Amino acid sequence: MNLMQAFKMAFKSIAAKKMRSFLTMLGIIIGVASVVIMVSVVQGQNKRSMEYFEAMGDNKIQVYAYQRFETSGSVSGLLYEYCLGMQDLVLGVTPQIDVWREITIRYGAKSFNTNDWDRWEDRLSVVLGSDQYGVCNNYTLGSGRELSFLDIDKSNQVCVLGAGAKAKLFDFVDPVGETIFINNQPFLVVGWYESIGLDGWNELDNMILLPYTFNRTLNDNQQITQYVVKAKSAAATTLSIAKLKAFLGGFITDDNGYYDVSSNNDWANQMQEQNLMQSLVLGAIAGISLLVGGIGIMNIMLVTVTERTREIGIRKAIGAERKSIIVQFLIEAAVICGIGGAIGITLGCMGALIAGKFLLQGMILWPSMTITVGAFTFSVVLGVVFGLYPAIKASSLQPVEALRAE
Amino acid sequence: MLIDIKDLYKIYNEGQESEVRALDGVSLQIDRGEFVAIVGASGSGKSTMMNVLGCLDVPTRGEYVLNGTSVTSLKDRDLARIRNQEIGFIFQGYNLLQDLNALDNVILPLIYRGTSIFEREELAMAALARVGMDDRAHHRPSQMSGGQQQRVAIARAIATHPPIIMADEPTGALDSKTGRHVLTILRQLYREGTTILLITHDDGIAATAPRVVRLSDGKIISDAHQEVDWL
Repeated sequence: MNLMQAFKMAFKSIAAKKMRSFLTMLGIIIGVASVVIMVSVVQGQNKRSMEYFEAMGDNKIQVYAYQRFETSGSVSGLLYEYCLGMQDLVLGVTPQIDVWREITIRYGAKSFNTNDWDRWEDRLSVVLGSDQYGVCNNYTLGSGRELSFLDIDKSNQVCVLGAGAKAKLFDFVDPVGETIFINNQPFLVVGWYESIGLDGWNELDNMILLPYTFNRTLNDNQQITQYVVKAKSAAATTLSIAKLKAFLGGFITDDNGYYDVSSNNDWANQMQEQNLMQSLVLGAIAGISLLVGGIGIMNIMLVTVTERTREIGIRKAIGAERKSIIVQFLIEAAVICGIGGAIGITLGCMGALIAGKFLLQGMILWPSMTITVGAFTFSVVLGVVFGLYPAIKASSLQPVEALRAE
Repeated sequence: MLIDIKDLYKIYNEGQESEVRALDGVSLQIDRGEFVAIVGASGSGKSTMMNVLGCLDVPTRGEYVLNGTSVTSLKDRDLARIRNQEIGFIFQGYNLLQDLNALDNVILPLIYRGTSIFEREELAMAALARVGMDDRAHHRPSQMSGGQQQRVAIARAIATHPPIIMADEPTGALDSKTGRHVLTILRQLYREGTTILLITHDDGIAATAPRVVRLSDGKIISDAHQEVDWL
């Protein structure tokens, strides 16, 4: 008996018992679908966070420094001076300030409100930074110029627009040289940035950058506590962090304040480890459900063997070898698992797409080939492994004993 | 000599109080091309005899030589080949596979034999035609009468052209008219040279066989040739 014929027979006997075959498959279907969905979601999330880090740029050092009784701006000034002193390691330094107070932005007839949370995707925001804000945050200039040291020193009423803010205020017109009104104060647009191009992170483009000296008027003169230092390389990042910690530790103590220095690199690594952990845990859970599905198959196959003892007897009486009977039952189990696996993969892909749409901001989550092929292979192997015992049991009967069964 | 058994025993629960001697030292020779009825009351051991002769069961002791080969020492693979190519079985309960149609049932032994896919259907249809069932090839057993099912079973038994047909109460579940039809087919096969072993408890049917072997309590109590009207 050839393999082709054995497959045909398996399909026939599965088709003859559609309901039971489907119920048997159900365990595998759910198991495979959940493996595919879970691993896809974790991978998608991983990809998304990595995309974010890439767009934000690596070797980025976040500095948090807070000093009680500080005379305004002194940390900023000291940090700026210090970073200038390690130009071999550092590309730039900037305060990183989001303005949370309500601000109106107007150009011609168009007016936006920064606290328009109902339309948060279209919301414009105002950020404050130095002449090195663009370098530190991975922005590239579209046209015009960056803020200058003089703009900051003199509190010049100038601004640089993100791509989203430019589009919302000016459509396709080049905004350089135009004047916009921020809280009714005229600000000259000196440049604009290209889009960061990161799906789901519109706020990175919907921003207007002003010299950080406007912290006094726009942000109630709150202390500046957050900075970004952009290092030249991964090695420079590690070195810079150590130096910055030592520097800040020199004048900020537990008694008069708090500081923290960390890099995106650490964060990214940590995130990656976390994601790996997540995939392993979720994969294991899904794997257990597959295993349970496999045991279900074994149960059904054992019942099937008992039920079909007579059939086995008939087959033996007309010339089936032990081997043929084993192969027949194994192929049946493998085909059931294979079909179940295929249905599971289909459902899993659909589930992953739906999960991507709702959980990951419309990301198109297409399960990777590795998972798909892996899950399918695993389910077929499962069928063979769990079908083996029933198959051997079925084949070892004497024909006459099998024929006696009712 | 086609079938030669010497001192054959089939003993269940040997040595215990519940010991049953289904075959108790049976010796029998059957030549190629004979028509033999094996008769006896139920429990006489005639079914056990057929199971052992048909390699469906193994004897406890004794020698069984089939067509010059000692069967008692053969492995599963060779026994399967004998059941497939040397012997065709016809059972009282037809024993067709319910999930397959008549044609697929008849094709089954050809598949196990390894007949090429291009010949199988033709051979199976020819076998069905011999029993007058070629017009029901695509019916399932559940869509056929008992007599029709038994004819399909005969077609399956003869599909590989085995030299021996063993029929265990082939008419037992049929009314007398369809029963006669089945016997007619067996006689036809006999005329063409097939060796027929017919197991029955019905003396009326036994009376129409050229040779009658009578069993009682696992022993042969008579073995006689007789004249029959259909030859």
